[in-house]
Amino acid sequence: MTVLVRLVRYRVAVILGLTLLIASLTVSGFPSVTTLGLGLDRSATIGIIAIGMTVLLIARQIDLSVGSTFALAGITAIMLQPVIGIWPAALAGVLAGAAAGAFNGLLSVVFKVNALVATLATMLIFRSVAHWLTDSQPVPGTDIMLSLALSTVHLEIFTLRSALFVGSILLLHFWLTRTVAGRNLFAVGSNADAAEASGIAPGRTVFLAFVFAGTLAGVAGVLQSLTTNTGSPVFGAELIVTVIAAVVVGGTRIEGGRGSALGTLGGVLTIAALTTAMEFESVPAYIQQVVVGLILILLVVLDRTVRPGPRTHAAAGVPG
Amino acid sequence: MTDVPIQMQQGTANERFRSGSPLFDLLSRGGLAIAILAVLIYGSLASPVFFTAGNFVNVLTSMAIVGIVVVGMTFVLVVGGLADLSVPATIACGAILSLALQPVIGPVPAFAAAIALAGFCGLMSGLLIGYVGINPIVATLGVGTIVLGIVQAAVGGVIVYGTNPDTAALVKSRLFGIPAIVLIFMAVAVVGHFALSRSYWGRWTIATGGNYAAAEASAVPVRAVKAGAFVITGLCAGLSGALLGLTLQSARPLVGTGYEFSAITAVVVGGVSIMGGFGSVPRAIAGLVFVQLLTNVMVLQGVRTPVQGFALGLLIAIAVALDVALRRRAGGAL
Repeated sequence: MTVLVRLVRYRVAVILGLTLLIASLTVSGFPSVTTLGLGLDRSATIGIIAIGMTVLLIARQIDLSVGSTFALAGITAIMLQPVIGIWPAALAGVLAGAAAGAFNGLLSVVFKVNALVATLATMLIFRSVAHWLTDSQPVPGTDIMLSLALSTVHLEIFTLRSALFVGSILLLHFWLTRTVAGRNLFAVGSNADAAEASGIAPGRTVFLAFVFAGTLAGVAGVLQSLTTNTGSPVFGAELIVTVIAAVVVGGTRIEGGRGSALGTLGGVLTIAALTTAMEFESVPAYIQQVVVGLILILLVVLDRTVRPGPRTHAAAGVPG
Repeated sequence: MTDVPIQMQQGTANERFRSGSPLFDLLSRGGLAIAILAVLIYGSLASPVFFTAGNFVNVLTSMAIVGIVVVGMTFVLVVGGLADLSVPATIACGAILSLALQPVIGPVPAFAAAIALAGFCGLMSGLLIGYVGINPIVATLGVGTIVLGIVQAAVGGVIVYGTNPDTAALVKSRLFGIPAIVLIFMAVAVVGHFALSRSYWGRWTIATGGNYAAAEASAVPVRAVKAGAFVITGLCAGLSGALLGLTLQSARPLVGTGYEFSAITAVVVGGVSIMGGFGSVPRAIAGLVFVQLLTNVMVLQGVRTPVQGFALGLLIAIAVALDVALRRRAGGAL
């Protein structure tokens, strides 16, 4: 039984290890630094958004609109390029993401609309604005060389965005486990009333969590648009399922109050490793979906049925 | 549809939602009826074709497919199951199987098998949510992904075409000028309404959503009731998908994309609480009627599609924020 409990606690690490092992044995050319770098780069978009989603889920909220925010931020960054230059435009894109997050926070905190419904509504609104701004056409950027520069691989593994992803997740880990603000987040997520009684402002915490998630979706969107030198209103339409799957596989509970940054890193890498390995073997996309869905369900069922005993958020800091 | 508020009064007693002020009471109960009336009046004045039988038949036809899903989704929201996000998968399951199985086992058994399988998918979600206690969002996302993958794998990931034109003719036929699909939708809505407001199961559904622990203590089979709501949605989405497949005579895997959000929009605009324990089928359908009429007016007025989406999103946000304000209920948390 203790072995099983241990397996469940470190399930993300176990599954990631198994995936990498099986893939290395069966897929030729898989165990190489190039593949690792490729896998990291393609997981960076999902990963950066997943960082924001981890924080929101811990605070007992959810954001379905991240895919639309992603598109909107990218469009802002590309469309403003001829007007104010590339870097100010990129900053404006990130700010657009933050504004979108603030709007979600406003609906959720001030108007007390349930987060699920509020972000469902803003998902439609932001996507419509994206179509509106672009006339439903992809918009090209001004400097095509920039996208090449952004895709350059440094130290044989990291591109700019994958380095940003890994760096941010380490920062998030530190923030969640070592700072007062991080601990307050867990308090608000597990019991908002008790948190308020202890002198934490749950409304402000939740609002800032929404802004944080919007900003990161904005960063991911701007990076995607700069890398592809295109702003498109259809970007990110299917992101939400993968992002939630990655975060939940990583052990963050959708009911709030529990989660970890390293778990999310594990979840993102697991899904990236799985899809990369299956693509190497040309497994059809729909079979890949079945595998990802099965792993998601399997992990949450294990989580519910085998209880590794009470865990504080400090213990949840390890992957699992 | 103007009699919706009256039916609400007769329905479950919701004393806790009364705010005291007669004006707030009127707004909270009759707001939707007033809104529908306003759209009707504006539409009639603004467009000569709006208030015609032909246009209303169009509106009814376009709302029938999503309307069947709305009936199921009402049960999910009322039982406190948040939302069923596997609807696109179960619709695709209904549409693809009802066409793909036609040459193998004949049109009628194919239709029945498609709905039964969609119901089975709902049962899977229901078991995970009701008995294992998994969050509905995660469970239905996961089950939906798996089901969609399996259905695509079963037909080889291609678009499926119908082989039996008679079934298409049957679905498109009209009785007294009303399309058959609309009649099926109305039948589902009536059955759903009585099941939710007049049967033991319906009362259990409302009790489970209102106070899970109290319902369990009163010997309500809460787990089965919660699972049942997702089976009902699975069956409804399967029926809806099968009808959609027969109408189009072709089905692609992504045929059901967006239906889950349209259904949730209608139910929420109708004033059914996402926290559970409160709501009725006529209310949800009134929400659907309002959304469909508004979309229809915007289409007739030549409003661009992105603006329509913008208006619809804003509408959901405002409707729910207003609802929260009028009921003075604490919400916000998931």
